[in-house]
Amino acid sequence: MAEAETDARRLATEARDRVRFEEEVLELADQVYRVARRLVGTREEAEDLVQDTYARAFRSWRSYTPGTNLRAWLMRILTNLNIDRGRRQQRSPDMQPMEEGDYFLYNRLEETTGAEDEARIVERLSQDSIVSALSSVPHDFRNVIVLVDIGDFSYQEAAQILDVPIGTVMSRLHRGRRILKSELAGTAVEEDA
Amino acid sequence: MTGFEMICEKCEELLQPYLDRELDDSERHEAESHLADCGYCKKRYRFEESLRRYVRSACAEEMSPELKARLAALRTPLT
Repeated sequence: MAEAETDARRLATEARDRVRFEEEVLELADQVYRVARRLVGTREEAEDLVQDTYARAFRSWRSYTPGTNLRAWLMRILTNLNIDRGRRQQRSPDMQPMEEGDYFLYNRLEETTGAEDEARIVERLSQDSIVSALSSVPHDFRNVIVLVDIGDFSYQEAAQILDVPIGTVMSRLHRGRRILKSELAGTAVEEDA
Repeated sequence: MTGFEMICEKCEELLQPYLDRELDDSERHEAESHLADCGYCKKRYRFEESLRRYVRSACAEEMSPELKARLAALRTPLT
């Protein structure tokens, strides 16, 4: 009898923990979607990816350790699923000219608009051109930019999510942002023509 | 002279992690003192910061209420 009561109590505790876990995970859905949307090409793909991520998260809720970083745990599921689904974009990161490195975009914008306030010069770019430039950054670099710049994860969290050393996160971020700026500089020239 | 035609090594080393809030207190202090003194880095910082903000706002896209409902439906049913 006492054993049955213990079992019932254990089941009740487990059910309560699971409900709490599911609620916390659902509260993060907007943030998860925002990251997913920039990791894949279309809204439909992002929705599928988020739905698969949630299905897996709910199934494996016992593998989450309460008190640890739930957002990073979810994002790790999402990035692994994204890789499993074969969304790796095959493109060499060395395709873009980098002679001017980080200054390429600024110089190009300044050239085409005349001297301007450097904090406002970016408004010269259309929002669509930003989305399109980001989607053309090679997969490995884009992952890091999306996690840090859009998902607001730290270098350490991004390293855990992607299962790479923190130095790799930093170098991919640096390189990826350069590629993004280089893509945007190309767009700025086209828009000006 | 317009644009960024020269390179400040200090800027290369500190600017990105500073913008990402990844520096410890003493490094942050160093970055801030440098930004206050170096016109080149200040200009570059303002540009990088606004670009990052602009990228973030351009990429913000809300999820559909339908997807939200589908996610909620994945929850384990209460018995």
